[in-house]
Amino acid sequence: MNTFSSALRLVAVLAVFPLSALAQQNGVGPDSVTIGVFGPISGPASYIGLAGRDGAALAFKEVNDAGGINGRKIRMVFEDDAHSPARAVAAAKKLVEQDKVFMLMSVGGSNATAGTIDYVKEKGLPMYVSISSAPAVTFPFARTLFRGGTTETARYGELYAEFLREHYKAKRIVILSGREEYPRNEGDATVAKLKEWFNEAPAARIEFNVGDKDFTPQLSAAQRANPDVIAFFGNPAEAALALRQARDLGVKAPFFVGANIVDPAFIAAARGSAETAKGFSLVPVLPGSRLPEMVQWEAKWKREYPNAPAGRPNNFDLIAYADAYVVTDAMKRAGPALTQDSFIAALEATRNYKVNGLATARSFSTKHHIGNLQLVPMEVRGGAWEPVQWSSTHQSDILKRYE
Amino acid sequence: MRTPNERTLLCIGAAAALLVVGALVGSYPAYLLGLAMVNVIAAVGLNLLVGNSGQISLCHSSFMAVGAYSSSLLASGAGLPFWAAIPAGSVVAAIVGALLGLPARRLHGIYLALATLGFLQIVQIVVEEFADFTGGVRGLNTAKPTLLGSPLTSYGVYCVVAIVCVLAVWLAINIKRSRIGREFDAVRLSPHAAQALGISVARVKLTAFALSAAYAGLAGGLFAILVGFIDPNEFGIAASLRQLTYIVVGGLGSIGGAIVGAALLSGLPELLRPIKEYTDFAAALVLLGALLFMPHGLASAWQRLTPKPKATWRGVPA
Amino acid sequence: MPASFYVQLAIAGISVGSVYALIALSIVVPFKASGVLNFGQGELATLGAYAALVLSQFGLPYYLVAPLVIASGALIGLMIERALIRPVIKAPAFTVIIATFAIGLAIKSAIALHWGDTPYGVAGPFGDEPLVFNGLRANPTSLWIVLCTVAITALVGGFFKYARPGKAMRAVSINPEAATLMGIRINGSYRWAWGMSSAIGALAGLLVAPVVGINPEVGGLILRGLVAAVLGGFTSIYGAVIGGILVGLLETFAAVGLGGTVKNLAPFLVLLLLLAFRPYGLFGSREIHRV
Repeated sequence: MNTFSSALRLVAVLAVFPLSALAQQNGVGPDSVTIGVFGPISGPASYIGLAGRDGAALAFKEVNDAGGINGRKIRMVFEDDAHSPARAVAAAKKLVEQDKVFMLMSVGGSNATAGTIDYVKEKGLPMYVSISSAPAVTFPFARTLFRGGTTETARYGELYAEFLREHYKAKRIVILSGREEYPRNEGDATVAKLKEWFNEAPAARIEFNVGDKDFTPQLSAAQRANPDVIAFFGNPAEAALALRQARDLGVKAPFFVGANIVDPAFIAAARGSAETAKGFSLVPVLPGSRLPEMVQWEAKWKREYPNAPAGRPNNFDLIAYADAYVVTDAMKRAGPALTQDSFIAALEATRNYKVNGLATARSFSTKHHIGNLQLVPMEVRGGAWEPVQWSSTHQSDILKRYE
Repeated sequence: MRTPNERTLLCIGAAAALLVVGALVGSYPAYLLGLAMVNVIAAVGLNLLVGNSGQISLCHSSFMAVGAYSSSLLASGAGLPFWAAIPAGSVVAAIVGALLGLPARRLHGIYLALATLGFLQIVQIVVEEFADFTGGVRGLNTAKPTLLGSPLTSYGVYCVVAIVCVLAVWLAINIKRSRIGREFDAVRLSPHAAQALGISVARVKLTAFALSAAYAGLAGGLFAILVGFIDPNEFGIAASLRQLTYIVVGGLGSIGGAIVGAALLSGLPELLRPIKEYTDFAAALVLLGALLFMPHGLASAWQRLTPKPKATWRGVPA
Repeated sequence: MPASFYVQLAIAGISVGSVYALIALSIVVPFKASGVLNFGQGELATLGAYAALVLSQFGLPYYLVAPLVIASGALIGLMIERALIRPVIKAPAFTVIIATFAIGLAIKSAIALHWGDTPYGVAGPFGDEPLVFNGLRANPTSLWIVLCTVAITALVGGFFKYARPGKAMRAVSINPEAATLMGIRINGSYRWAWGMSSAIGALAGLLVAPVVGINPEVGGLILRGLVAAVLGGFTSIYGAVIGGILVGLLETFAAVGLGGTVKNLAPFLVLLLLLAFRPYGLFGSREIHRV
């Protein structure tokens, strides 16, 4: 009975006091530094994770070929999160505890990334979030969490509301959004900013479901509201279908689309109905553009991944590539004595850094870790996304929260 | 088979073994074991309904959702400690299960399957619509479980899951051997004969739905504290179908089969990590292979390999 | 609200419902013949859509693509039946259903691996310009889908009523032993059933491709198809088609009247209500189902 009760006591103690809570300088060796990357490469969102992984890997490889970071080569370990918070936590645990990574980089979706935040905070590890727009990454402020390529959900709302009002001069705005997390957030943020900044409500807010194959009811309802512009938030396939059906139904109002629809695949799938659609892009130049810098970059990418399916490289390749360079640039500035603290300090000192003309500039500070507040307005002209001459004049409210 | 005392000792031994293993391996393998045990609880519950009672349910994951969300809300909103919130969530799920069992009495086969599918959609939509409480599609950070004022470590959570899992399995074994279990078998093998013998088929169906929902609700509550974050996607049709594959591969009606099937198939994606983006395809092939070579499940394949003299009658899975 | 508004909606509902009807048909046919519920039927539609993509990338015109897609659908269905269904047919019905589900999963993940999630498009057989008549507008492809559904339903109905193999299949589904005694080969009957249903499924994918696009999620149609089949009474061919049209109309009008949230629920709510009063659907017969 003695051993039994002492065993019980041991279990009770272990249940409440963790065995090791000391933060170690994991992942940094004399000639290597290990970066853990996770995102969905199986399941419905695999196109995000695959591109995120490949884009980041290309960037790390280039850095290694150019000599590494202060003499250290980057070792990237990638784990699948299958777009599920439960699996993302498993991926993070594996990377931290088995692969002993120095830092984490997320190229995954919002819920999956949000699920890992508590664990990452508990471990005190730096995590750089490239693609997810989950609010919990940057608010409340967390010393070890950073958001890079994607911008804050509220920022979408700010830019969209201003653009719809000022560029379209729209009095009657109809919002048509899907019930998934990302389009819903875009819709909600736009409605909120329309009210807060312009004291206006949309003429109609209509929702559709994931997997809907027919938008006639929603488009008819939208038409009845007599819109000056219809804002569509969903995924590229849905948008292509909606725009084609809008043409069938004779809808005259122009379309404004969400940021994930600003993608060459949308134009291809819409077969001519995409002309004049406008939207904001996370990258200043889209894959498929004939700009020489993009042509060179795509050639370089295709040499590295000759067997990738059509439609790659896509926006996520670009964003992850640029973000990987932000990370390595900060590591270089942290110096040969690379610790998590020196890395975080170097990231916070980043000002307007971008690796090439195909990325938006990133800046962090000690007060906030929001890397990018820029989106580029674009329009479908002549079958391709071209930039629109418009810039925002309304001051953003987002950074006010951190003063 | 074994005497009740032997079975109880076996369960205590299993619990002790699990606790020791969890302390020795790192937090990542313990987390995976925890997820597997949550799936075991859900699978054992589903087996009572599908394998033993012969019903169909495509909404088992919805009961998990009910358990997960209600236990989280009770813990963060009403301040219930986890050891009260999780059983409370299970009770809520059981009530909801009974509510579904009421109209489901008259249905069977594909009609019942579609009715449960409709119920799944309803739960999804309810979770998404009441976003102020449930976090909607953005998900919900669940309350951290605390014991005597300090939060549980990941090992502590693991212990909770392990102990509850063993208890749930022990309970299922006893249910199967009790009068309720025999009524389940009777309703599965011949509803008409059962009715003729005075067993109310409607009541048995109701009990089966409520019981399986209670198990699922328990699994959901444990899932919530294990992962720390829940969203409606985790409890959709894909999850329900996965749970069905656990018990089909394990062997319908067999508790041991449900345990092994759930543990193996839920661990499969982790095992397949090395093949990166081919996991979906490989998992489908593994499932197909298991069904082609062992159409009656692992349990009956095991029985074929280890023949025992038939001294006692055992409920044979269908 | 002008009447033309409702007529416009009705056109949309019927055309979307026709697709559901085809999927429902492709589920009911093998169930009637062999008692197997094919949970992977949606993926056969996905296969049809991608087959159309590949064939059109070779530059083949529509009137060649269509029969090729139907033929390859039938062929794949027969191969699946021979290799994967025949061995498990003796297993409990549940296992067979899960096996079909696994086959569907394997097909879908293989497609996603090769083509990625990029949405592809393919032009409709009559171009993309909408037809305008009296203020009513319709996409020619949508009308073509309705036409094809009617034609296929008539063909299938006629097949079961008049053709020898069709009558044999009906005999097998009513009483397999007696049918064998009459000299009907059960295996042949199953093969016909699977070949037909896969062909119909692939055709559904082909028809729907210009409207909905080509991506791995096309198979999600099976859920609606199942609802349609149950609504119509699971063993009735005409019930399946009527069920499909009803689901399409329900969804379309519910979306306008009640908003997007309830729209997803509407078919299920109606189904649940219906099943409460008529447990065998609209046209189903009181048979004992193996499932």
